Amino acid sequence: MRAKSAFAAGVGSAAIVAIGWQAGLGALAQQLPTSTAIASGTTTNASGTTGTTATPSPSASASASASASSGTSSSSSSSSSSSTTTTTTYKDGTYTGSVVATRYGNSQVQVVIKGGKISDVIVLQRQQVDTKSNQISASATATLKTKVLAAQSASVSNISGATYTTQSYLQSLQNALSQAK
Amino acid sequence: MTTTATPLAQQISSRYRGRLRRGDLLETIMYFSIAIVLALFLADGGAIYFLDIKEVATGLGIVAGLIGTDLLLIMLILAARIPILDRTFGHDKVIALHRKLGKPVLYLILGHMVLLLIGYGISSGNNIIAEAIDMIVNLPDMGWAFIATGLMILVVVTSLVIVRRKLAYQFWYAVHLLSYAAVLLALPHQFTNGQLFGEGKMARWYWMAISIATFASIVIYRVILPTALSLKHKLVVTAVDVVGPGVVSITMRGNRLDELTARGGQFFNWRFWAPGLWWDSHPYSLSANPDGQSLRITVRDLGDSSNKLLRLKPGTAVSFEGPYGLFSDAARTTTKAVFLGAGIGITPIRAMLEDARVNPMDATVILRGATNDQVYLWDETYEICVKKSAYLRVLVGHRPRGVDTWLSNEAYTAGESLESLAPDIRNSDVFICGPTAWLDLVVEDARQLGVPEHRIHAERFDF
Repeated sequence: MRAKSAFAAGVGSAAIVAIGWQAGLGALAQQLPTSTAIASGTTTNASGTTGTTATPSPSASASASASASSGTSSSSSSSSSSSTTTTTTYKDGTYTGSVVATRYGNSQVQVVIKGGKISDVIVLQRQQVDTKSNQISASATATLKTKVLAAQSASVSNISGATYTTQSYLQSLQNALSQAK
Repeated sequence: MTTTATPLAQQISSRYRGRLRRGDLLETIMYFSIAIVLALFLADGGAIYFLDIKEVATGLGIVAGLIGTDLLLIMLILAARIPILDRTFGHDKVIALHRKLGKPVLYLILGHMVLLLIGYGISSGNNIIAEAIDMIVNLPDMGWAFIATGLMILVVVTSLVIVRRKLAYQFWYAVHLLSYAAVLLALPHQFTNGQLFGEGKMARWYWMAISIATFASIVIYRVILPTALSLKHKLVVTAVDVVGPGVVSITMRGNRLDELTARGGQFFNWRFWAPGLWWDSHPYSLSANPDGQSLRITVRDLGDSSNKLLRLKPGTAVSFEGPYGLFSDAARTTTKAVFLGAGIGITPIRAMLEDARVNPMDATVILRGATNDQVYLWDETYEICVKKSAYLRVLVGHRPRGVDTWLSNEAYTAGESLESLAPDIRNSDVFICGPTAWLDLVVEDARQLGVPEHRIHAERFDF
């Protein structure tokens, strides 16, 4: 290849990659959940429940939180304001969070509040663009539900390897919870 | 000779410049294909993998797979015998690049596999083996992709061994056909598992297009075109003439041969429909410039099935693939030319000499044979040299003992050299054909004399 042509090929290739990069910047900004959500999520987690990362087993904590919620619901009829575990209480009802788009697909949750507590989180949409993200988001959303029920807030730690699922799930949840205030 | 740029000089240099331009354009397309693959990855937000340390392995794995697959498709295109590539670079250079890409492509594909196993393993908390099993069981088409990787390793390993001549050509050929199977097995997992290839995405269409184009070019140029040409021309052996001990010239005739654009020095893969020969095809160069009515090759008994060619009967049907190669007058870059041929390698030299556009006294022909008998087609070559007023030198006899030279003992002791035999070689195209060891020595001498690389045209007798 002659030097001039090699130079042209090099410049052309660089230009093509640069166009791709430029096009990708828009996609990047769209796909990354807003940076404030990530920051608040992680910082509150750091100051709050550090023990959640070392949850013994999902099933154990799930049953524990289930018994806890059933306990509060039975006592809620007599005294609804006797909450001692969390500072925030929510209005009873079912609230649907916003749709959060990521590069692996949309995420959306619905939160069920009973007796001022988060009693259930229902996944309406999760990352499913391909088999791998389907697999990841399925297990991650199950773990997230357990964590959220235990923490009674959207301030739970990230699940490594499922950052998109975690962040978009929590963002949608945060939105739903804000409606419940 | 001051201002008169002869028509021949103009013709040769404009053809040569055209070939260079075409070559640069094709090479540029190759580099662009890699750039486009990267650009599509980035346009899909691929840079995001590199923002999180846990996803870097996945990101690198995807990039390795994309570039590896792109180069793999380029390898297949290079092996598809596409006429424009052959006319521009020559079959030998195209195949050399194909070979050069083999190992890097294998490393990229293996890197793709290992990096993604690590990357996905980090996501799911599995070790590599567990992740591999998980992927094969749970993801569509992954089992095929792993089998494809195994086949690719087999293909590259057998190719490296065959180069050292420890494997039969036919076995290597059969294994090489598996590489098509490997690519076909590996393609589905890209489309079913890769999110870059998700439905409705630009990359999906681009990759589908280049995969289909690659396989279409293989089918068209390696199967349909040769079959169509063989059926059209219906070649039949008309004469088998003994040229020397164990050497015959095979003349073939057929329909509308004037429409076949072959030039002296080019080669075909021939298949003779005779007992013991039909199952295998043989590459032989033309030993006479096609005259529009017949084609001729000259064949030496190499001890394998080529000895059956000596007893070929007139009337035998012949099918062919070709013409291939840029070892012809189409490779010329300047008006002067030096032709060197040794033994059976004289025969393509004789054919291209017949076709060569040279002014009187501008061509030098050097023939080499161990004995008088082995200066094959000597009489024909002599006549052409007389007709074209070319210088002709013939070196007969074994080479001197213990000396690495391409000259005969007689010429060597007389103090002859490439420079003394062809004084104007620095301003000439040099065409060399003969046994590899002999040819390499000539090329070395030519380089030492300062003949530029683009003017050295060598035809090696190996596949």
